[in-house]
Amino acid sequence: MAGPRTYRQKEIRRHLWIYGALTPYIIIAVFPIYWMAITAFKQDPDLYRMDAFPLWFHLAPTWKHFSYLFTNTNYGAWIVNTMVIAAWVAVITLLAAVPAGYALARLRIPGAENLGIAVFMTYLVPAIILFLPLARVVSMLGLQDSWWALVLVYPTVTIPFCTWLLMGFFKTVPVEMEEAARVDGCGYWGALVRIVLPVSVPGILTAVIFAFTLSMQDFLYGLAFVAPGDQKPVTVGVPTELIRGDVFFWGSLMAAALMVGLPVAILNNFFLDRFIQGITGGVGK
Amino acid sequence: MSDLRSVQTDRSTLDRRKFLGVAGAGVAGGSLLTMLDARKAPAQVRGTTLRILQWSHFIPAYDAWYDKFAREWGDKNGVKVRVDHIPHLDIPARMAAEFAAGAGHDIIYNGSSILTRLYYKNLVDLTDVADQAGKKYGGWIPAARSLVEVEGRWFGLPIFYILAPMLYRKDLFDASNLKYPDTWELARVAARTLKPKGHPTGIALSQCADANLFWRSMFFSFGGTEAEPSGDNPTLDSKELREFLRFAKAIFDEGMTPEVFSWDDASDNRYLASGIACWVHDAISAYRTTEDTNPPVFQSTFLGLEPQGLPGKRVSVAAPNVWMVWKFSKNQQAAKEWLTYLIDNDLEGMVQSRGYNMPYLNDRYKKPMPVIGTDPKLQILQDFPKIVAFYGYPGPSTTPIQEIVNTFIFPDMVTRVCRGKESIEESIKWGVGEYRRIYAKHKRA
Amino acid sequence: MGAPFLFSLYLALSDANVGDPVAHFVGLENFRAALESDVFYIALQNSIVFTVVGAIFKGLLGTTLAFLLLQPFWGRKFVRGLVVIPFTLPISISVLSWKWMYDSQFSVINWFLSRIGLIGSYGSADWPVWLGQPHLALAACIIVNVWRTFPFSAIVLLAGFTSVPTEILDAARVDGTSFMQRFRFVVVPMIAPILLIGFLFDTVFTLSDLSIVYLLTQGGPANATKILPVLAYQVGIQAGALGRGAAISLFLFPLLMPLMILLLRNLRRREY
Repeated sequence: MAGPRTYRQKEIRRHLWIYGALTPYIIIAVFPIYWMAITAFKQDPDLYRMDAFPLWFHLAPTWKHFSYLFTNTNYGAWIVNTMVIAAWVAVITLLAAVPAGYALARLRIPGAENLGIAVFMTYLVPAIILFLPLARVVSMLGLQDSWWALVLVYPTVTIPFCTWLLMGFFKTVPVEMEEAARVDGCGYWGALVRIVLPVSVPGILTAVIFAFTLSMQDFLYGLAFVAPGDQKPVTVGVPTELIRGDVFFWGSLMAAALMVGLPVAILNNFFLDRFIQGITGGVGK
Repeated sequence: MSDLRSVQTDRSTLDRRKFLGVAGAGVAGGSLLTMLDARKAPAQVRGTTLRILQWSHFIPAYDAWYDKFAREWGDKNGVKVRVDHIPHLDIPARMAAEFAAGAGHDIIYNGSSILTRLYYKNLVDLTDVADQAGKKYGGWIPAARSLVEVEGRWFGLPIFYILAPMLYRKDLFDASNLKYPDTWELARVAARTLKPKGHPTGIALSQCADANLFWRSMFFSFGGTEAEPSGDNPTLDSKELREFLRFAKAIFDEGMTPEVFSWDDASDNRYLASGIACWVHDAISAYRTTEDTNPPVFQSTFLGLEPQGLPGKRVSVAAPNVWMVWKFSKNQQAAKEWLTYLIDNDLEGMVQSRGYNMPYLNDRYKKPMPVIGTDPKLQILQDFPKIVAFYGYPGPSTTPIQEIVNTFIFPDMVTRVCRGKESIEESIKWGVGEYRRIYAKHKRA
Repeated sequence: MGAPFLFSLYLALSDANVGDPVAHFVGLENFRAALESDVFYIALQNSIVFTVVGAIFKGLLGTTLAFLLLQPFWGRKFVRGLVVIPFTLPISISVLSWKWMYDSQFSVINWFLSRIGLIGSYGSADWPVWLGQPHLALAACIIVNVWRTFPFSAIVLLAGFTSVPTEILDAARVDGTSFMQRFRFVVVPMIAPILLIGFLFDTVFTLSDLSIVYLLTQGGPANATKILPVLAYQVGIQAGALGRGAAISLFLFPLLMPLMILLLRNLRRREY
């Protein structure tokens, strides 16, 4: 019996160590979210109290801020817009970044490397200037004031990075595997689809997560291109309609952030899992 | 653009091709086309369409009223009206995008940053609308012209402004036998007396609109001016500036806390609503916030006229709000008609905004005015139009003034003084230098 | 891809403003104008501090967190899910939550610090005003940036670590190398591509990020948190002097480009 017990004790000790070490990270990451949650449920007068313990309720919690979102704003539409935009952006990004990343990683196109550098340079051009020529393009296509404008614009931000990211992943795939496939009669394209993509699932998932997250981070493009209340993505709708002059609707702001952030976090976590598993199970062997 | 949608249908094949080219994703062709087809077909537009860009008002109910009011007008006149709302601080970006695109709304709103002079070559001349309204309602208040007039023509239509009165705690003042803050000196004495009792005051000393507005009110009330009446040259460097800055330093040291360095436009509302402030100088949003969150404090909060700096001298810098019509608009006639209608009904707007929206036309000040005329505490607001001024006082809202306001030079200069790390003369040297530099750049351009 | 850049460059060399499409070539006038203003130097300095300090903390927190998450333990998935939340919240909204936490009066951070006796009570001289004291305000902006991005660094690193084949590590262990040696000579070179791209990307994004500072302080108090993109936005868009705004925002380009090319070429050499 002594053996297992010491093993168990060791395990418990190890866990305590790890939990202890993780606690600060969890607090840093989660505390602001807890704070948002509690704010979202507080009645307004409860917010402006300095004497009482701020992390709990002193007046009854309320759903008011949540119901305000759905009855007085287009919150439902914003959420749908955001999700659909993000999905389209992810799809478009992959369609462009997979071939591009593969080409940069494998094919001996003259100047491919420098082209890669040039792709990265686009990030150095600040969005605050870039939105003006983009406004022209968006308007020429008749997409102004529709969320399709953002489906068009966000890939300009996501594609370069995802191309680089995927290039990194593709390079880790042993060339021999592909050559074997090509010997078996697949072309470059076939090798990409049948051999490289399946083992690059984690990289692709990373790219998807990235594209998804990034399309939820923009504020300026959304603001400049989409003004109608029912076309806004949530990232623009919330700050533009819940901050009014010098009045902040704190409760509703926080409620809005939570309702969009938490599901995405869960979704992300699901993807993350696949993506880390994928790496260990795929490329490693 | 009125017929943006029909044009778009005509060109749709071309658009798609272009769209694909830009997206650079030939592989995605099939799905992108499906995607464009799936896009909701816009409802057929009957008559014309009028698109209005408007800010998100402090009072949500006002926006709801405005949208409905506009729609009803549209129904009567066979015009389809659509109103979009974004915060006033973000309007410059949106305006730049619409101008670059050459399309967007027909009517565009400006709040606090009035960009008429920047865009006037691309705006519709609204002089006729303004003259007509002026004739009908006893003329415009003097400050209105400075906002929108370029080379003798009006390229915008002032619609309302937002006042910032003194909001003081009568109970605290009475308990310490203090006189009501009718002069800045009295306000300073009150803050000096009440700060040790846990009731300081505060005016934002950060980079926000409040800081730009309220310190200017104080400066102008001490006889200072920012620019020549023509707007051509800055007049900041003066004896009055030195007096004002000495006073600002004193009122900060004696009556405020360093919190004001971190404030945004909403902080003084909370300062009052939480029962701490002895007085704040703010828009009546602070008054309304207190009403909603702290009734006892609200009961004893009273309003005062802009305090005097020099004896008899009161200048209240208000946040202006202006409408403009793009030249690229295909529906300028409807835009003008709607604006005329809106001016005819600006008192209704005042009611719906719970007394925020102050009109620019003289006849509107016949007492009692709606909302504020019947509330004994708010009645004092009716006396503001004579003393209202805007950025660049006494000159117009020129482009250098816009840059000075948007880069917060004036409040930064006050901040430097109040921090006490450098002398008043050093701060002035910096502030005046920035003013000169910016004016010089705009002259060169 | 080059078109937007050329457009910005054209703006930076012209006297364009937002309301006047007819611009004239003015050479380096806009850059000279930027250099004449001391606000520009403050912004440049703040931008560098913001990026460098932020990167250091993101690196530290990200690496240590990745190591912790590499260990097997009960509830790992759950913890991983928790720590990535900051990265998934829309930035325009989560910054507002921080703004509320930094509030000069109702700051929950101060409430705690005050309760455990680290700072005085509200109204006393040692009650920190997060967004009001110059160094604190800049620190507050950096904290938000680090808070938001360190989970991402951790995940990228984690993916990198797990991609190193255990056989190689075992072989190295058999050869008698220490943990640090294995880390330095086996793991780091293998994950270098991902690491470098992540780092470059983060640097460029942090340098051009407007939203945190814009929403927290607008660059105040008295420019203590002004960074280049915020200044460029205020001058170029809000005040309408497009040419000068473009010049300010492109200022870092000549500095960053050689650095990036150097790094990327170096990366390429390593791989072959």
